[in-house]
Amino acid sequence: MEIRIRGLTRDFHSEGKRIRALDNVDLTIPANRIFTLLGPSGCGKTTLLRCIVGLETPDAGEIAIGDRIVWSGEKGICVPPENRGLGMVFQTYAIWPHMNVFENVAYPLKCRNVPMKEIRTRVARFLEFVQLEGFENRPATKLSGGQQQRVALARALVAEPKVILFDEPLSNLDAKLREETRKELRKFLSGLDITAVYVTHDRVEALALSDLIAIMRAGKIVETGDPRRVYFRSGDRFVADFIGRANLIPGKVAALEGSHAVIETGIGAIVGSNPRGIEPGEEAVLCVRPEFIRTAVTGAAGDRNLFLGRVETLLFIGEAYEGEIRINETLVTTTISPTADLVEGSDIRIAFDSDHCFLLPA
Amino acid sequence: MGKKSALTPALIVIVGLLTISPVLMLLAGSFSEGFGTFEGFTTAKYVEAYTDPELFGILLDTSIFTLGSAVVATLLALFLAYVNTRTDIPFKSFFGVISIIPMMIPHILFSVSWVLLLNPSNGILNRYLMGLFGLEKALFNVYSMKGMILVEGLLDMPIAYLILAPAMSAFDVSLEESSRACGAGGFRTLTRVTLPVLRPALLASVILVIVKALASFAVPSVIGTPGRIYVLSTYIYRIIATGFSADYGLAAAVGMSALVASICLVYLYRYLTSESERYVTVSSRGFKPALIGLKRSKYPLLGVIGLLSFVLILLPVLVLFYTSLLPYVMVPDAKAFSLMNWKNWEEVLRDPISLLSLKNSLALGLGGATLGVILSIFVSYVIVKVRTTASGILESLTFLSFSFPGIVIGVGFMWFFLRTPLYSTIWALLIGYIAAYLPYGVRPLSSAFVQIHSALEESSKVCGASSFTTLRRIVIPLLIPGIVSGWILMASMFLRELNLSVVLSRPGTEVLAVQILRFAEDGLWGRLSALGIIMILISSALAASASLLGKSLTKR
Repeated sequence: MEIRIRGLTRDFHSEGKRIRALDNVDLTIPANRIFTLLGPSGCGKTTLLRCIVGLETPDAGEIAIGDRIVWSGEKGICVPPENRGLGMVFQTYAIWPHMNVFENVAYPLKCRNVPMKEIRTRVARFLEFVQLEGFENRPATKLSGGQQQRVALARALVAEPKVILFDEPLSNLDAKLREETRKELRKFLSGLDITAVYVTHDRVEALALSDLIAIMRAGKIVETGDPRRVYFRSGDRFVADFIGRANLIPGKVAALEGSHAVIETGIGAIVGSNPRGIEPGEEAVLCVRPEFIRTAVTGAAGDRNLFLGRVETLLFIGEAYEGEIRINETLVTTTISPTADLVEGSDIRIAFDSDHCFLLPA
Repeated sequence: MGKKSALTPALIVIVGLLTISPVLMLLAGSFSEGFGTFEGFTTAKYVEAYTDPELFGILLDTSIFTLGSAVVATLLALFLAYVNTRTDIPFKSFFGVISIIPMMIPHILFSVSWVLLLNPSNGILNRYLMGLFGLEKALFNVYSMKGMILVEGLLDMPIAYLILAPAMSAFDVSLEESSRACGAGGFRTLTRVTLPVLRPALLASVILVIVKALASFAVPSVIGTPGRIYVLSTYIYRIIATGFSADYGLAAAVGMSALVASICLVYLYRYLTSESERYVTVSSRGFKPALIGLKRSKYPLLGVIGLLSFVLILLPVLVLFYTSLLPYVMVPDAKAFSLMNWKNWEEVLRDPISLLSLKNSLALGLGGATLGVILSIFVSYVIVKVRTTASGILESLTFLSFSFPGIVIGVGFMWFFLRTPLYSTIWALLIGYIAAYLPYGVRPLSSAFVQIHSALEESSKVCGASSFTTLRRIVIPLLIPGIVSGWILMASMFLRELNLSVVLSRPGTEVLAVQILRFAEDGLWGRLSALGIIMILISSALAASASLLGKSLTKR
């Protein structure tokens, strides 16, 4: 089901100060996709999620799930969370400690007065789905973090809602389990006809899981797009920096070359793609990701996108070197092959791939 | 939302009425002429009370009694806590039992059992030792300051243990280890590192026991009064309960000093406990300090602890049961066993006042605990979940009664009820009990509410449950353990209540503990013991059935 949000505003008041958690948010979450709200803590992503579920009451705006308006300030509509027919996985999982696994998962069905026989088969099916078959009688307090997370997922899915919401569900797992669960979750969700709204502050999680990502900042949605688009073609400096490691080099557009542009920067003229169509004479920022800076290149100074620099710092991190290279007054971060024969202070030639660096508005 | 905003002020009014009004009435009464009327503001009662040369001696005795009990209780608790947390002594679960004894044996019965054992004329233990060593005079006279301190110290030891044991187990052993590594010996480490680090906890324990001993009435009245040793609580009792006319004005004037001292001490205690939290170094989870191997001293130590538990739990019950079967107190021998019968029991069960006190206490225990727990549920909800400035006020109001010496606040309630139709009814006792023991219900319920994280309720709503279903299926089941332990605590406190009751109980509203006190004053030890055993049985039965009910409710 599609979720449409119009003009949603929510203020918090603390110690006499007003904090705008959601600032006139417009957003359409398409049906049957995994949609991630990504942003630093305090950006309003969790507040937005809680408004969709109905645990938080907005101050103004409208929320519609499918054809049904569930909240509207103007029309005075407020559907309580229990009548919105959603599923949700909480950050703390919120597994009820006084119930066992079966009772936890069966709860949404009991609330909908499903006959006991059907409850049994459906709970069994979803426990199998999350690979917890045979755990029915285990007390909730005797579950590991990963198991609790699966119970929470089964409970959110068991009533077969059309929309499921996740509030940072992986943040309480350790790093290794988090990676595995991420993969599984993507597999689980793509096998279902369900709209998933996922809140996280972890950019890798967002990129790996989502069909679409909306990046939020200070109560506003800054940019929406599929993972490749926000990573490679972002139109916003904050987003480009937040979604991955980036060198952001400011300059002024000198000339256009088809879909590309030449930008004059502190280290010289650089050619990069110009997806936003920035005009010559305008201030712009060139974004280059460290993994797209080539080292160990041949050529002479003055060649296109080729620069001479000196290795300022060199950190060995296992799969690569992380290097900082000084060109004039600018420091550029690069990823260098771990087999490279370099020391700090070496002279180095680097080249920017003009298809993998892009201009964005200053 | 509207309901919530009305709840906090309503509770502040109710709890304020319960805890502030007796204090205000006490204050007003102390400035009155003293005959139940407030006409004419006068300081005459203060002048009368504080110019009486006897008061000086009483204050001195009160200080010796409270401080002595605090030292005895704290040293005993320190020993037990140290042995439990730091050595490899077997049967560790036993220490938990010692800490809940005050739940099991009412203070007045404990005091009586020591009178039966150690009174100078026919104390069982005294007689036995005299026979053993061929002595002319009793070895130990319980009717003395020493006797009072010993019995009060034993009674208050569990309070000290509950403060010291957690501090001891949170103690970071590496502090000691680094002292040893610096070249200090075991004794130097104990005196220069271990005890100084535990100092806030030790002080907190001493202060809390002083507060308890200051409020204590059972020990001073059963043991002190026959030896003509008066402390503040028994002195106040003497003012209101003996002589031709009870002078509640004078009692209020004397009581004010006990109340002020108690409130100051409780504030000091709160300050110290917040301090000690900063002091105690909690080590990382899963870390178990190396236990001291006891080797050869294991069994002697175990013997000491076994003896202590025997003295604390079994001996009082045994002595009471034994005495209840005899026509008069005597050393257990062949003659004693030949004289045993159930006469005392029959007399008690035929005595109309004993039966009335039984009925009243049961009604107060069952009804009072139920009402008290209901109030505690709302109060705890506001304190834990609403969290506004107003709920902070409610919390302070609730725990104010923690620092009330029972008999003093009883005098305050007396002034409060005197002009109302509640005077001399069982309702007066009920209201007084709930006011004085509200913290006993609020403590376990607030910790239950703390455990109910808001996400647990929210996820129920998202799952499709209405607010009512969420309350019934999620909130109440998670609260039940707190409700049960709050109810058991309140019911057993009410069933044995003495301090307030000696003031508020009137003909027709006798309660168990007061009836036991009357028997003690008249020296009717046999009947007293029979009634005391009945009291212990009822109290245990109530606690057992409440916890069974709680278990079956959470199972479903």
